[in-house]
Amino acid sequence: MQFRLEKRQEPSRFMLYATPVAAVVLTMVLGAIIFSLIGFDGLGAVREIFLTPLINPLKWQDLAVKASPLIIIAVGLSIGYRANVWNIGAEGQYIVGGLAGTGVALATWEMTGWWLLPLMIIAGIAGGMAYAAVPALLRVKFKVNEILTTLMLTYVSVQLLNYLVLGPWINPTGYGQAQTRLFNADQTLPYIIPGTIVQLGTPIALLVALVAWVLMSKSMFGFQIRVVGLAPHAARYGGFSEGKTIWLALLVGGGLAGLAGVLEVAGPFGRMVPSFPTNYGFTAIIVAFLGRLNPLGIVVAGIVLAITFVGGQVAQTTIGLPFPAVGLFQAMMLFLLLAGDILVRYRLRRVVPLAVAEDVA
Amino acid sequence: MSPDLLIGLIITLVGASTPILLAALGELVAEKSGVLNLGVEGMMLVGAVICFAVTYNTGNPWLGIVAAALASTAVAMIFAVLTLGLSANQVATGLALTIFGTGFSALFGRAYTGKPLALFKSIFPDWLATHPVLKVLFGYSPLVYFSFAMVALVWWFLAKTRGGLILRAVGESDISAHSMGYSVIGVRYGAVAFGGAMAGIAGSCFPLMLTPQWVEGLTAGRGWIALALVVFGAWRPIRLLGGAYLFGLVMTIELYAKAGGGVAHVLPSQFWAALPYLATILVLVLISLRQSSNTSAPACLGKPFLPTN
Repeated sequence: MQFRLEKRQEPSRFMLYATPVAAVVLTMVLGAIIFSLIGFDGLGAVREIFLTPLINPLKWQDLAVKASPLIIIAVGLSIGYRANVWNIGAEGQYIVGGLAGTGVALATWEMTGWWLLPLMIIAGIAGGMAYAAVPALLRVKFKVNEILTTLMLTYVSVQLLNYLVLGPWINPTGYGQAQTRLFNADQTLPYIIPGTIVQLGTPIALLVALVAWVLMSKSMFGFQIRVVGLAPHAARYGGFSEGKTIWLALLVGGGLAGLAGVLEVAGPFGRMVPSFPTNYGFTAIIVAFLGRLNPLGIVVAGIVLAITFVGGQVAQTTIGLPFPAVGLFQAMMLFLLLAGDILVRYRLRRVVPLAVAEDVA
Repeated sequence: MSPDLLIGLIITLVGASTPILLAALGELVAEKSGVLNLGVEGMMLVGAVICFAVTYNTGNPWLGIVAAALASTAVAMIFAVLTLGLSANQVATGLALTIFGTGFSALFGRAYTGKPLALFKSIFPDWLATHPVLKVLFGYSPLVYFSFAMVALVWWFLAKTRGGLILRAVGESDISAHSMGYSVIGVRYGAVAFGGAMAGIAGSCFPLMLTPQWVEGLTAGRGWIALALVVFGAWRPIRLLGGAYLFGLVMTIELYAKAGGGVAHVLPSQFWAALPYLATILVLVLISLRQSSNTSAPACLGKPFLPTN
């Protein structure tokens, strides 16, 4: 029996949303098999990584905390990816956003007032935008590939973070430990559900996704972004400037990554520390793709990836599975998703012998 | 500068440049065929951990290098099947490959954390390899001489052979290459496999020459620098060699600054650590300023090819 790929008239909407689900399920099946083959408890790994965080209500608050930054960053990245702008340095913009918020917090450390937190958040967004403005400028003015510049700047931002927390921003009463002071109460995100660790970051993440969904699907801005990505020539013909779109895509991506950064530092961290870079910026790339570059899909995908993180920690304590295994599961998920993409654009047809004969002729 | 210091500097420079040169040569060939594989960092990490494990367990670095090349070729084939067989997005697939390699090396490197490995020393007789002056020529690991040989080989293959001509044709105009009867996908599979093998060998430089102890993520972004280097070298092997040593020099300055010598202390060590990445950005800008037709990317770079449809 032979199969042949046949191009669809238009992309299949069913496959567009079915393939991410299939990718997650297949990752669980293949992951169980592969991890068993290499000498781990494969079934246990899949159970703890994918199911325990979902079944155990005590873990739901952890999911909300982990998913929020992933969703915020991925929404920003998805807008860029739709326009074919490949910002893969969200991790750096996240760090600089966190640093900008920290700067404000340290400068206003002895002050109180409701306005401190909004000011930090604005600084965080501005910091992320400014850091993404560099690759935007270089791409528009000098045609320098943004994939490399955004990534290089991520490495630079890690050094900037280390410099600041070890040097000028070190906690004066911290016995030389590399971290800043703890932010004061007005500089820290409030808890929104009593008795849990869920902070203001979670509703903000949902709001960001909702606003982005409305913008992308209902507004001229969204239309412009999609046209530039799908057909740059047509876009130029229609009067949309490619340069402007690149600027927009990177500024939105950077601004949202910066927002995620400041919400993390003012939230779960409560101060700036060298361990602040947690790879959210890189994981958000998987989230963006798994969510099909659609803000609502990204909310679901963000929760799925959060499950793997929380589950990875569970698996580490319960069955002794090393944490990096989570990265392998995440990569496998992305591989399978990308492999499944072909089913969106093509259909698998069984080739009957007659058709083969015709093809040859 | 005393002669001893200069010799030490050259040896550090060669060590820093060799892995990025090897990885960039592999990527250059892949890109010449029209494939952009952003998974270099991931493939290097897979090579590094496999090389460490095999060398540690067998005591034979040659076996370690061969195993690293094979392992990285195998993971490059994941990329090839997805992007060439299923025409998946090359940017996303390359990123997935790097995430995969990072997880893979962290998972399998854990067993070796902190374990020592003997450096892969020169194969020349001791009186040459440790001679105070001649060691500048004979004191290196075989991987260094291999990297120079590969520059020549890749140059010769691309510029002088029929195979190289076909590979370049596939990268410049896939449709015409296809209509002339060449297998576009087949050539690209080969080029991606070569890129994988070279990234694996580049990865094995880390445990064998540079940090003879397992550290998580020990390639520290060198795979990404290798990608920038291909652009810097304008897809030409000889320029690539120059670029690799220029980047190596920046990294050497970083090492000396960290060790704390004179002028370097004026600026914080983090500045020197960030310098290779800043230099990469600067160089990319400079290249684009003198962009001409013979320094631009292969025309089909990153574009999927579907012959039957």
